[in-house]
Amino acid sequence: MVTVSALSRSNKRIGLWYVLLLSVWMGPVAADEPALPPQSASDDVSFAENVQPFLGRYCCRCHGAEQQKAERRFDLLTGDIGGDSDLVDLQDIVDQLNLGEMPPPDERQPSAEDRRRVVRLLSDTIAEYHRKRSPLSGDTVLRRLNAREYANTVRDLLQIEMEMFDPTEGFPRDGQTEHLDNIGSTLVTSGYLLQRYLTAAERVVDKALTPLTKPEVQTWTFRDGFRQQPEIDQVHRRTNHFDWITLYEVRGADKHEGAYAAIHDFVQGVPEDGIYELRFDAEALNRRHPYDLEFLGTDPEEPLRLGIVPGDRTVGELHHTQPIEPLLTEIDLADDRQWYTVRIWLDAGMTPRFTFENGSMDVRSLWTRVLRKYPDMFPKPKSRGIVESRFLAISEGKFPQIRIHEVEIRGPIYEAWPTPAQRAILGADWDQAVSGDLSVDAMRTQLTHFLTRAYRRPALPDEIDRIMDLITARRAAGRTLVEAYGDGLKAALCSPAFLYLEEPVVDGQRLSAFALASRLSYFLWGSMPDDELLALAAGDALTQPAELAAQVERMLKDARSDAFVDGFPDSWLTLRELGATPPDRSAFPEYYQYDLKSAMRQETRLFMRHLIDQNLSVSEFLDSDFTFVNKALARHYGLPPVTGDQFQKVRLNDRRRGGLLGQASVLTVTANGIDTSPVVRGVWLLDNIFGTPPSPPPPDVEPLEPDARGATSIRDQLQKHRNVPSCNDCHRRIDPLGFALENYDPIGRWRETYDRRVPIDASGELPSGESFTGIESLKSLLVTRREQFERALTEKLLMYGTGRQLTPADRPDIDNILTQVRTGGGGLRDLITQVVLSDGFLSK
Amino acid sequence: MRSSRAPRRGFLKAAGVVVALPTLESLKHSSGAEPSGEPGAPPHRMVCIGNEFGMYPEAFWPTQTGRDFDLPPLLQPLEPVRSDFTLFSHLDHGLKGGHFAVHTFLTGVKSADARNLPDGGISLDQRAAEHVGSQTRFTSLNVGSESGLHGGCQMSWTRTGTRVPPIPGPRELFRALFVEDDAAARRQARDRIALQGSILDTVRADAKSLQRRLNRADVRKLDEYFSAVRDVETKLALDRQWQSVPRPKPPIEEPHNQGLTKDLPLIYDLLALALQTDSSRVATLEIGGSFAASDLGIRKGYHSLSHHGQVQESIDLLVEIETYQMQQFARFLDRLKSIREPGSDGTLLDRTMVLLGSGMGNANSHTNSDLPIILAGGGFRHGEHKQYPSESRRRVPLCNLYVSMLQQFGVETDRFGTSSGSLTGLDVS
Repeated sequence: MVTVSALSRSNKRIGLWYVLLLSVWMGPVAADEPALPPQSASDDVSFAENVQPFLGRYCCRCHGAEQQKAERRFDLLTGDIGGDSDLVDLQDIVDQLNLGEMPPPDERQPSAEDRRRVVRLLSDTIAEYHRKRSPLSGDTVLRRLNAREYANTVRDLLQIEMEMFDPTEGFPRDGQTEHLDNIGSTLVTSGYLLQRYLTAAERVVDKALTPLTKPEVQTWTFRDGFRQQPEIDQVHRRTNHFDWITLYEVRGADKHEGAYAAIHDFVQGVPEDGIYELRFDAEALNRRHPYDLEFLGTDPEEPLRLGIVPGDRTVGELHHTQPIEPLLTEIDLADDRQWYTVRIWLDAGMTPRFTFENGSMDVRSLWTRVLRKYPDMFPKPKSRGIVESRFLAISEGKFPQIRIHEVEIRGPIYEAWPTPAQRAILGADWDQAVSGDLSVDAMRTQLTHFLTRAYRRPALPDEIDRIMDLITARRAAGRTLVEAYGDGLKAALCSPAFLYLEEPVVDGQRLSAFALASRLSYFLWGSMPDDELLALAAGDALTQPAELAAQVERMLKDARSDAFVDGFPDSWLTLRELGATPPDRSAFPEYYQYDLKSAMRQETRLFMRHLIDQNLSVSEFLDSDFTFVNKALARHYGLPPVTGDQFQKVRLNDRRRGGLLGQASVLTVTANGIDTSPVVRGVWLLDNIFGTPPSPPPPDVEPLEPDARGATSIRDQLQKHRNVPSCNDCHRRIDPLGFALENYDPIGRWRETYDRRVPIDASGELPSGESFTGIESLKSLLVTRREQFERALTEKLLMYGTGRQLTPADRPDIDNILTQVRTGGGGLRDLITQVVLSDGFLSK
Repeated sequence: MRSSRAPRRGFLKAAGVVVALPTLESLKHSSGAEPSGEPGAPPHRMVCIGNEFGMYPEAFWPTQTGRDFDLPPLLQPLEPVRSDFTLFSHLDHGLKGGHFAVHTFLTGVKSADARNLPDGGISLDQRAAEHVGSQTRFTSLNVGSESGLHGGCQMSWTRTGTRVPPIPGPRELFRALFVEDDAAARRQARDRIALQGSILDTVRADAKSLQRRLNRADVRKLDEYFSAVRDVETKLALDRQWQSVPRPKPPIEEPHNQGLTKDLPLIYDLLALALQTDSSRVATLEIGGSFAASDLGIRKGYHSLSHHGQVQESIDLLVEIETYQMQQFARFLDRLKSIREPGSDGTLLDRTMVLLGSGMGNANSHTNSDLPIILAGGGFRHGEHKQYPSESRRRVPLCNLYVSMLQQFGVETDRFGTSSGSLTGLDVS
């Protein structure tokens, strides 16, 4: 009845295999059938006598010759496991019985004793099959670096500053498998991508090489002529003759008017990459203003905060948001005029732009609204329209604003010369190379050192020869020594030895020490191994479990492990998609005014980091009595106010927040920016928290047509859906989980009603029969079922760590990891360590 | 050659645009490859236009079928060219996924499933572009929004499952088409081509040495790399050749980008110029995330309006946005029709298939069925609303239309994506 295409079937098979529990989770035992005739339970009792009658009685009506719901057919199963297909079916039966999800509540139920007996028999059969089977698991297919890893790797290899430089710009988006962006078989290489590699190599090497000689420090001073953008210049010309810069609003505003201020006479930017010292004379006005607090949304108790971001005029207007816009520094300003000094890195061509990090928002509309709301505070407008309103609002109003009266820029300043990049490329030979008197032998030595780091293993003589030949040819074609050498490095960055993670094996399946060093560093750092890892690999010490465990500890303490703290949740929780469906601006202005998106990401990041640092139990992901918030997020969550802009750990007094399901990042990424759907969130939970993605809907089903006119509630609509048996098979699993999250709006705020009218009912019942009243009681249930979550998380970690999809053969390995972790107390850092020590991770 | 030049120059002036002729003709003929197999005939061209949220169905689908149908509101801008297009109903790819399936518009398959397919989920335009190969300066021109909701339209895909990102705006398109590099830049470009050639030689040798150390599955994976090297070598050879061929003279000043909504007319004009000057024969236009409804004076978001929830006010605004898109499309067809094909009696439109559609059927319900599909020009017999069966068993894959288009383009194929054949009922005029 349910037909699913061959493609989705194969996906689902792997997905469903993930369902499982070690400990027996018994479903409802009420209304059980009388036990089947007792059979001896010894191992040699045939499948035919014990299991087949059970399947025939309880399963085969839907999964037999007549029907194959969810594409499962059990009447042909024998105790002899013929391959993955049989294995998956048997494992499925065990898992469903353990979970108590099958048979469905309206079907005949086996007795608890029969369930247990069949589960035990099948588990033994499966374990026996795994014991006899070899090799252990699937291979990781030759995996290339994904864009993220490429960027991190060139950063570490060439020691270049990457904050405002993205060499992967224009790379096609990497393919994903189960939301993971580092699965070898999914990462393809095309002519298009290779072209991008060629361009990126050129940009990267040129950046590392320049400037060839240490530039003179220059000083630029700006005291007037501060034009900003046409819209407000027409006012400033009259009010202050461009004598100072004025910032009015946050960067998140829709139409910017005084959100970014570049220095008008410095739009060409700095001449060289380097550190620049900025001195500026700034004042903060109208922190306390005469308007309603809600009207502007700023906090009068908080100092006005100035930010600096880079701007590139070749990319677009300097008074608008640009694609690469890291916040280089932030300063709390005193109200009175003062001088400030900061040091920031700027790439050549970048100009500093001042921003107002806690300003008002959408001042363009405020100009008009303030006149309407406070007519007594302003002269009567001479005309209608934005120009007059803006003039009056700016010249007569008391909006919080930052003024900058004078700016001095000095640089480039180098903390070391040659630069770290130049030393990464040519070691101590930089000056000889620039002057052109580096001997061929010395060059070869430098190149060999570089290639060994670039290829993450000793460079082979023929690889070195080829690049030396290229360098020689370029020299002959008239390039300088440094240029020709740089051209050689460009070739190295396009070589498969750099772009792919080669994984040679020793003793059959085990990774070589160098391959292991790379696997480890791409797992935890998303980047190349450092010198310590390479040295350990060369000495072959790395394959020792104690050394590996020590390295995991060291690497997780290193700042490079931010790549894991970001990259893994991006894949596991689909947080990469946060912002892909931007929340509606008129419905959720606070998302933009307080930069909630960054705050949401930061909460999850800090939470993850805390669990690693403190080695806390992974069940904290399901429910925790703490989380991390800044002021904006505390307000967003309705928590007691926290002071200051910094994130801090807060204790939670109820269970509405805490754990991943209370985090706005997760709640926002599972909504579409406009409304919420219990189905979408339910599917997300099954997929990512439980590792049991439901089957796609059958092709003949009528989709739900959203109807906002209020005639029917989403619950009524879904209920109708669930009256169709083929829908109910999955939706009884999906919908209750989704409804439990209905108290969170599309950006994760708590709500009791839809549109302040219809009350929300977040109660539900799991397929096992347990019921809950809302998210808080659901979380308690989830914690009691945490094994399923732990397994799903472990599988995702192993997949992310190895860069391959798991197969049924990985199950014993996962079991073993879980056993080890539970023995050791169940902390997240232990889990990561055990994943690294597992057979699956250590094998190709 | 001379005989075909004179009238072409004359006609360009007549069209009100002075575009200097590129000396492409000789190059094309020297390469010896004539895609259509009709010696001397003008080339076939293909333009595919897509948006993210489809077309509001109630204002798009006529109630009648056949040749005599009343134009519903969204088709009314096409009144002047109604005999030049065909509307197809009940065609789709049989996929689900809402926004996550929009990218299947020109491929018929989700990118995640593409690698299992013989042609790797290549899109219609790229399949056609492969056929054109090195005969034009640009194998294809992909223009429009880089992103959008869940990645946006993402229309154009290569054989290896990578997306071809679009040229973002008219300024970049103009530069690619018309702006010649100065002598130093040309010298630099030639040097870069030479260097990249040497790099490819080096890394191919690295790959060969790597290949010997790999197991069978990995050797297969590394084939992607070898074929990438070959692709880039072909591209470099082409680049080297095109270095010596001057670009056409720009008929307009370099434009500024003002956002896709405002830029839409100009992009269409530039695409027409690209076809006219034979700079490219294949183009796509993605109307995605950079298309701002606010530039039409509409205060609500496009995406938000597409979730109209049957609220009439929202529907009206949505239709207003879509009407604008249809007006610009109609203007483009009209433009192609007004340009005479060099060396023939026909117009540019006669040899240019223009496909307009979306991977989204109904944005309010997030369905990817019954996609809005219009095909204009290209030498087909038009002027009809063709309705295909709606019952699930008898449905016709949209890819059948793509097979017919590719065949018309000169590609010898009887399948594309999930096709079951070519499209019945679509005739060549």
